[in-house]
Amino acid sequence: MKNDKLKIGFYELTGCAGDCLLVTDCEMELIDIFNAVDIQSFAMVMSNNTDGELDLALVEGSVTTEKEIEELKDIRKRAKAVVAFGTCAVLGGVQARFIDPKEWEKNLKIVYGNTEFTHTKPVQSKPIDAFIDVDFYLPGCPVSKEQFLNFFTRILKGNPPEHYPNPVCVTCKYNENDCLLKKGELCLGPLTADGCGSICPNHNIPCNGCWGPVEGANVTSEFYLLKEKGFSVDEIKKKMANFSGTKITDYFQQLDKEPK
Amino acid sequence: MNGETKNIIQENPFMPEPARIVRTYHLTDDVKFFQVRITDMDKALSFKYDTGQFAMISVLGAGEAPFSISSTPSRPGLLEFCIRKTGIVTDSIFRLKENSLIGLRGPYGKGFPTEKMEGKDIIIIMGGLGAAPLRSVLLYCLDNRNLFNRVILLHGAKRPSEMIFREEFFALKERDDLECYMSVDEDDTGQWPENVGVVTTLFPKVKDLDAENTVALVCGPPIMYKFVINELIKLDIPKDQILMTLERRMKCGVGKCGHCAIDYIYTCLDGPVFTYWDVLHMRELI
Amino acid sequence: MRIFKLKKEYLFPFLESISEGADLWAPTKKPEGKHSFQIIKDFSQIDLDYTRTILPPRKIFLPPSFNMFKATEKKYEADFSHVTEKIIFGLHPCDIHAILIMDQFYKHHYNDPYYIEARNNTLILGHSCWPDEHCLCKSAGTDIIEEGYDLFFSELEKEYLVWIGSSKGDDLIRRKPDFFDENITDKDIQKYIEWREEKDKAFSVSIDFKNMPDLMELKYQDPLWEKLGQACLACGSCSNVCPTCNCYNINDKPFLTENASHISRCWDACTLESYSEVAGGENFREARSLRLKLYYTHKLQAYISKYGKPACVGCGRCIETCPVDINIKTVAQSLDNETVDAFWDRFAKEVTK
Repeated sequence: MKNDKLKIGFYELTGCAGDCLLVTDCEMELIDIFNAVDIQSFAMVMSNNTDGELDLALVEGSVTTEKEIEELKDIRKRAKAVVAFGTCAVLGGVQARFIDPKEWEKNLKIVYGNTEFTHTKPVQSKPIDAFIDVDFYLPGCPVSKEQFLNFFTRILKGNPPEHYPNPVCVTCKYNENDCLLKKGELCLGPLTADGCGSICPNHNIPCNGCWGPVEGANVTSEFYLLKEKGFSVDEIKKKMANFSGTKITDYFQQLDKEPK
Repeated sequence: MNGETKNIIQENPFMPEPARIVRTYHLTDDVKFFQVRITDMDKALSFKYDTGQFAMISVLGAGEAPFSISSTPSRPGLLEFCIRKTGIVTDSIFRLKENSLIGLRGPYGKGFPTEKMEGKDIIIIMGGLGAAPLRSVLLYCLDNRNLFNRVILLHGAKRPSEMIFREEFFALKERDDLECYMSVDEDDTGQWPENVGVVTTLFPKVKDLDAENTVALVCGPPIMYKFVINELIKLDIPKDQILMTLERRMKCGVGKCGHCAIDYIYTCLDGPVFTYWDVLHMRELI
Repeated sequence: MRIFKLKKEYLFPFLESISEGADLWAPTKKPEGKHSFQIIKDFSQIDLDYTRTILPPRKIFLPPSFNMFKATEKKYEADFSHVTEKIIFGLHPCDIHAILIMDQFYKHHYNDPYYIEARNNTLILGHSCWPDEHCLCKSAGTDIIEEGYDLFFSELEKEYLVWIGSSKGDDLIRRKPDFFDENITDKDIQKYIEWREEKDKAFSVSIDFKNMPDLMELKYQDPLWEKLGQACLACGSCSNVCPTCNCYNINDKPFLTENASHISRCWDACTLESYSEVAGGENFREARSLRLKLYYTHKLQAYISKYGKPACVGCGRCIETCPVDINIKTVAQSLDNETVDAFWDRFAKEVTK
């Protein structure tokens, strides 16, 4: 019988592997997922992984070594479509937070000293679209089960995936939380893409921005609002850069143009 | 203290009817023609609509979107749509083959006031995909030719390959009860037999227009409206006899979801056909 | 109108007797101090000492997200599982006015069965309230309620005056006739009138709503809107907390194994970036200022022109919610040329410095 199932691969670069772990955590759907597609590679859950042609590659983690750059380029060559899977792949993640390359080199030195890198050479952490074209972005730390299953099902049925254009505040209000920003906390809800179910604010913890910036976010207004509430420029920038990594630099450049 | 779930028997305006794609083919690279029949024969025949109205089409697994009806109510039974591939729903519709099932509900909105147009001269100006809603009223006028005085068609497209209903309109050109002029912005084929230039360059070809007694129907890309309306105003056509059909985001079609609101009107209830006076009066409309 | 007296200690026993077979919703206090309407499992959860809940009661009729259909290619099966027998207790007059506005809206032109069915199976039990510094109900004309409830409880010192607003409300009273006292004394009446007069004096802010339609029209190009647009975080919260907002989105949520989907409906907000974006990416309201104009046209102009009253019931939720102080009070006051103390105004001065 001809196998016409979609050929899919899950790949992990540098990160906590939380996104792939989330897939395995879809307990009710796991068998259906494995039945619905032909999984060629998924190092976390199976052996005998093959490196053939793929319809879809889901790449988790950011790029932090030269070897990973090669690996990533190879995946791109083999796959018809590539998904940046999780915040590290989409934005670079926490490991990309040191936005100044000099600062990165300094930190590398502090951590590794004079160690010689023999296996591969480290590079400053970057999102995967710094090296290859990406077809779909699915941010999350880790990605949400609901968004992943919806994405997966749509692709499976040949329909384009949905966009999630809302900030965290929308779900946060659905969950009837008192606004932490209004209360004077450094909450990044209005700037951050939704999908987490506002899990931090639900527990009275301000949003850390782990889904990355939402389209149309008004960073300038939030920045000045936080300043007015008594946070230092450094504190605000640090928190914003935490997860949004290298991609938030655009915003900072934009902010630097604004009057102080 | 446990609320019991109720049995509901009520008319549900959000409920689509299953419909079958009877025929589909490409009009241009990114525009496809769809002929659709509601599977329930009784419902198919009793589906009454006006020219200029729209319907909601849904594709299972992809979603629902509004589309102008391109067929004429004077030919009942089949509904026709021309759809450009622009988003999630249209992308999925494009991949549907003949005989596929879709969901359909409607018709919605206020269409063209064909009764009020009777006895008048009708000038139809369409650009690009603007032909989709205006083909409906054009065919209606031709099917009821004795109800109207002059019928004039100005049809503009970017390039010959992007002109939708090209063959159909060339065939209509042969009729002597229709004044039909066509134009392309640029002729990249070198074989275009008609006018070259934006659609407004066709206006000089229309002779002796009785402005007071003329109804103009306009639909096209946003940029076109300004220039076409300028021409129509120059010709002294009264503002409330210039009718245009407008696009907005719509999710429900029945005035509930709010997306198509402009000022305090809903495009899906009070439109999509508006007069030029409405447009001047209501800000934000174009 | 039929009015009875109910001793305070009878309140919960009465509620218990009527809530058999129904979900009883009432205000509860959240750990951080704000209130929320929740289904009551235990009467000690009810906290009537509240001014406003975070989300308006419309969430009880149409939850933020619910399924409208289970769809297959051949058949759409309507899903009305959100419709259950409900009693909402403790609604303040402004929120009941908002429900009256919703009733009108969802029956306008087309009936929305998802709202109407939920509404028809819900009893409204109102409760009197005391204004705080954000309450604008007196300005909006919604501080008093004459219709829209089944029962209304006006709190006096030791008892309630219970107003019967409907035949269904009268049926409720009949379940515990012993609890209700028909003899309302002159003293009771006097106490109630005194309370009314005191409450009337307790309002600290007011807006002249009747001028708003004209001001919205005349100031449509006012630089005020740019200022608001600059500061707006586009978080959608003003819509989500508004008791008269009704916009929603529809999503197709396909099943993994079956060729079927849930067609779900979730609240949307006109202040969100994607609100007016059509397929192909064109956005009719990309500017935040345009989206705010739409919001305030709806609240301050459109509804007044159509129905003679504002679509704002003065509940004060937007005032309590917007992090950058864009709310019905600051916007209306600014349109009326008053100076306001708001972040958006300070921010506008900051960026134009």
